[in-house]
Amino acid sequence: MAESPVARSPIAPAPPVALAHGWEVSARRSTAALRITDCTPLDKLLVRALAGGVVAGAFGVPFGRAARDMRDVLVVGSGPGEWTLLARPGAGAAAAAALPDDDLTSVVDLTSGRALIRISGAHTAALLAKVCAIDLAEDVTPDGAAFRTSVAKLVTDVVRHDHDGERSYLLHCERSYGQYLFDALLDAGAEYAIDVEGFV
Amino acid sequence: MILVPCPHCGARNASEFRCVGEQRARPGDGTGPEPWRSYLYLRSNPAGWVTEGWYHRAGCRRYLTVERDTLTNEVRPLPAEDLA
Amino acid sequence: MSAPYRLGPQPGEVLDRSRAFSFTWNGRRYPAYEGDTIVSALAASGERVFSRSFKYHRPRGVLSASYHDPNCTVQVGDEPNVRAAHRRAAPGMDVRAQNAWPSLRYDVKSANQIVGRFLSAGFYYKTFIKPQRLWPLYDRILNRFSAGGVLTHAEPHEYYDKRYAHPDVLVAGGGPAGISGALAAAESGASVLLVEEEHELGGHLRWGDQAERAALAELRAALAANPAIEVLTDSAVTGRYDGNWVAVVQRNLPQVTERLIKARAKTLVVAAGLIERPYVFEGNDLPGVLLSTAARRLINTHAVRPGDRAVVLTANPEGDAAAADLECAGVDVARVVDARRGGDVVRVLGGRAGVRQVECGDGWKVACDLLVTAVGWTAPTALLNMAGDRPAYSEAAARFFPSKLPDDVLVTGGIAGDGTLDELIDHARATGREAARRALGGGGGWGTTMAPPALPVAEHPALFRGRTHGFVDFSEDVTSKDLAAAVHEGYDSIELVKRYTTATMGPSQGKLETVNTVAVVAEATGHSIGDTGTTVWRPPYVPVTLGALAGRSFEPVRYSPLQPWHERAGAKPLVAGAWIRPDHYGDSAGEVRNVRTNVGIIDVTPLGKFDLRGPDVPQLLNQLYVNKWSKLDVGSVRYGVMCAEDGVVLDDGVVGRLAADRYLLTSTSSGAGTIEEWIESWLQIERPDWRVYATPVTDAYASINVAGPRSRELLARVADGVDLAPEAFGYMRVRSGRIVGVDGCFLWRIGFTGERSYELHVPAAYGLHVWEALLDRGADLGVAPFGIEAQRILRLEKGHLIVGQDTDGLTQAYGAGLDWLVKLDKEDFVGRRELAWQRGRDDYFRLVGLQPVDGSVVPAEASQIVEGGNTIVGRITSSRMSPTLGRSVCLGFVAPHLAAPGTTVSVQLPGGPLIPATVMAQHAHFDPEGVRQRG
Repeated sequence: MAESPVARSPIAPAPPVALAHGWEVSARRSTAALRITDCTPLDKLLVRALAGGVVAGAFGVPFGRAARDMRDVLVVGSGPGEWTLLARPGAGAAAAAALPDDDLTSVVDLTSGRALIRISGAHTAALLAKVCAIDLAEDVTPDGAAFRTSVAKLVTDVVRHDHDGERSYLLHCERSYGQYLFDALLDAGAEYAIDVEGFV
Repeated sequence: MILVPCPHCGARNASEFRCVGEQRARPGDGTGPEPWRSYLYLRSNPAGWVTEGWYHRAGCRRYLTVERDTLTNEVRPLPAEDLA
Repeated sequence: MSAPYRLGPQPGEVLDRSRAFSFTWNGRRYPAYEGDTIVSALAASGERVFSRSFKYHRPRGVLSASYHDPNCTVQVGDEPNVRAAHRRAAPGMDVRAQNAWPSLRYDVKSANQIVGRFLSAGFYYKTFIKPQRLWPLYDRILNRFSAGGVLTHAEPHEYYDKRYAHPDVLVAGGGPAGISGALAAAESGASVLLVEEEHELGGHLRWGDQAERAALAELRAALAANPAIEVLTDSAVTGRYDGNWVAVVQRNLPQVTERLIKARAKTLVVAAGLIERPYVFEGNDLPGVLLSTAARRLINTHAVRPGDRAVVLTANPEGDAAAADLECAGVDVARVVDARRGGDVVRVLGGRAGVRQVECGDGWKVACDLLVTAVGWTAPTALLNMAGDRPAYSEAAARFFPSKLPDDVLVTGGIAGDGTLDELIDHARATGREAARRALGGGGGWGTTMAPPALPVAEHPALFRGRTHGFVDFSEDVTSKDLAAAVHEGYDSIELVKRYTTATMGPSQGKLETVNTVAVVAEATGHSIGDTGTTVWRPPYVPVTLGALAGRSFEPVRYSPLQPWHERAGAKPLVAGAWIRPDHYGDSAGEVRNVRTNVGIIDVTPLGKFDLRGPDVPQLLNQLYVNKWSKLDVGSVRYGVMCAEDGVVLDDGVVGRLAADRYLLTSTSSGAGTIEEWIESWLQIERPDWRVYATPVTDAYASINVAGPRSRELLARVADGVDLAPEAFGYMRVRSGRIVGVDGCFLWRIGFTGERSYELHVPAAYGLHVWEALLDRGADLGVAPFGIEAQRILRLEKGHLIVGQDTDGLTQAYGAGLDWLVKLDKEDFVGRRELAWQRGRDDYFRLVGLQPVDGSVVPAEASQIVEGGNTIVGRITSSRMSPTLGRSVCLGFVAPHLAAPGTTVSVQLPGGPLIPATVMAQHAHFDPEGVRQRG
């Protein structure tokens, strides 16, 4: 058993199963109008720093918004004095290293600690409206909006992150709830013929 | 369903929060058993406006203080001068 | 199959005569057209009796022919309590009567009528009480005679779900006022949700004259052309809660049985119209007594002739129109009694088939089979009541009106006033515009609200009860005589009368009976209707199925990364809060022995874990724990107990110092959520100046406890970069390193099970990889997994308490035997005050180790410890058979005078004998010196 360690998501991968970036992932293809993807292998960092401090200034992303930085890392203002960085697998370390020195900053690697799911398609808002009480209208939560709320009774972070001209949302929760959240979204999307798409 | 005006997240459904209850100042050192237990267990429970703590557990995870009218369930943020 | 009472095509009918089919009613086939309700189809075939009443089992026929008709509740297939005057017939539908045995026609239970005088309202407060031992029999009897359909459990579950909505304006009611209000609101830029209870929009315009139908067609066209208005039909607004949180049950969806919509409306417009009120007189519940709106619905929208020969009692223009409609439908209108000119109906006589004769106020007796009444209207103000309004009574109009509404609720239409159709539409449009303005925050905000000018109010004669006594609440079989008797017995307030007689408490929830109840009570007490007032309406406005409220089952479940392995190994799952954990793998005693002999591994991932960073972490630890933390070295681990402000034990766990400014704090798994909030409350409220970040990492690490004499050997085969020699890595120390190729792992030596053990914290994504490696590489060492049950036994053998099991909501630290941990000389910590006061007392129960004298007896946990036969002096908190010692071992609380080692106490086994047990000198039953875990 000398092979290198395999990383796993809490969400059972839909066949066919493949290995990518050291993770066991689904390689399923889908052309459905409404798709759900397990994006747990993405690097995730939780940065806490003083609001209005050096690190906050470097990010330039206020609470409630998300934006891509120069390294293609998605910086999400996920709380007061709190930022969640979502990066390609393996790119997290560089993102952490690039942070300016500040008095009091905490960077915790939550790549293992969070389950991350993407839903894409025109019906994503209708799907989410079944499990989430936040107003998803364009004028309330436009592209780039980030919020934390209760989704299917689970505390979940949501980022509206449209993609290729399609409406799309990223949702992440504590890892142990990952399969539950995935299943709840599948159930809510059944009405719109939701289909699972693989990470690769 | 009461709407709680979270100062960070905006107005959200009360189900996202845990109601901590009527706000009391924690007594300092040297408090005897009677006033200490009064702090632990007694509340004034007014019929009208009360200063109340809530914890936004399904949101920003911040503790916040609002005023609520216990007769009508109208909720409002603390007056600006009290936020200092 | 013929339908002798079916009329030719009517201009306003909702039938599609090209789609004919049949369905069954009590086993017989009946014809129907698409668009027929169950009742309209049966009435077309001449059926008049649709149910037997709740208590007296009197035959009942159509009364209102609307959703709220109390007499038309039937069973459809496996679905009980269907409103047959609203539910559309469908091909092959199997409809049956409820609450009648053996059949609707010959209902044995109508014998209740004979003993009716003994079954007056409130009879069950006075009967079926003694003797108490006969209650099971009374229960069976009452059950057989109670109403309601039949439930079977064999049918598959239906699909119910929910969604959230955020309309700017929600309009309740789809009549002309509701539609007009919705249109005006949408034209002003608001998003609108329009909810209508019936299958079609239009309210009373649907059975109106040609001008009314033309107006309706115009409104419908305008609505269809406006995409900003979402229209829901066959849907009901069931409640209005704080801040215009409105519940709507939507029933018109193809794949979903019912959908609960939770809407946060900025403004609510109530346009619920008016509900026609029955007249109270002897015989008013006979089949054939109809409200004028029922007659007009049947004739104009469903092309049904309600009977052959009719008397009409009218007090308003709608009653007059009903008389005209009856004539056009070929009914012989024998007499029109005009209540505005003093006309009245005294009583109606009839038999099982219904009305036979109407006795008028002037003495005339008319033979007929139909009595149509139009004596007045009731405003359905329930939603407004839920918004805090107490309706006010108008003597002139003989009905209640809305009086004081919050800024975010408006009313329009018949509920608000009268007037011509144009006046009502104008008012509704003004209301819709205002609703939009308030919703969109237009100029001035809530403070400068503008109410549309009031509608005119038409005078109407006050007709509630005639000269005789009759039924007031048809659903509950409550008569005006019952109400008068209740007042006579002393229940003289409307709220008391309601509860004593159950009037208004049935399925129609007061819509047809509240005002008559108030009027009869007012009459009996001598007060005015206005002073008597109405009862309080609470949600739901209409009965709601439990399915709609339950929706999809949202019960979050938590799994460890090792769950797939546990499942494959056949572990018995244990539900621990939201977590699913492995209880055992088939033999918990064997698992215990293996841990004490070889090495066992257990998945303890749910353990609460917190990443603490910052220079002030020791301050935080000192504040929250009862013991001291300032001198914890890097690489060391310490056990701590947290108490609450009242000195009660809150949680326990170990804290390890990983680096100068970095600690890992653990809590109990069930306390993880509480401790997260507790830590945050101190950092945010009491000590915002402390420089500490606490991040929950419970899910970020898979936690595995490797326990047993061979644990070090096993670890040597998987750990890399960690010196495992006992001098280098002693008890209560923490190290970091790589485990089977996984970086970022922590290991510490602690001792919950009492054996030499290492707790590994592995980045969760690699948890399964490490677990499998341990089992693979330790096979020759006898490694085997052990579950929660085995862990419970192991720790109990060692006397280690579990917070919440061996402590309760009153156990302060000294009572739990934690004296050695409490450092009262610390400056301040949570619980210090109460603990200092506790130390000065001696009256608290003590947690002690206990062993039943007969080691083969394992007392049930929570067994009481008693003295003198009936005084409780303690209880067993933990109890197991110990495989290691071959005898039962316990922890429990005992009163201070019994806490001395060697004392014999009596344990009361549940439902069984008293057994003696001995108080031990310490909590640990095995290896009290802790030699094994420190090696």
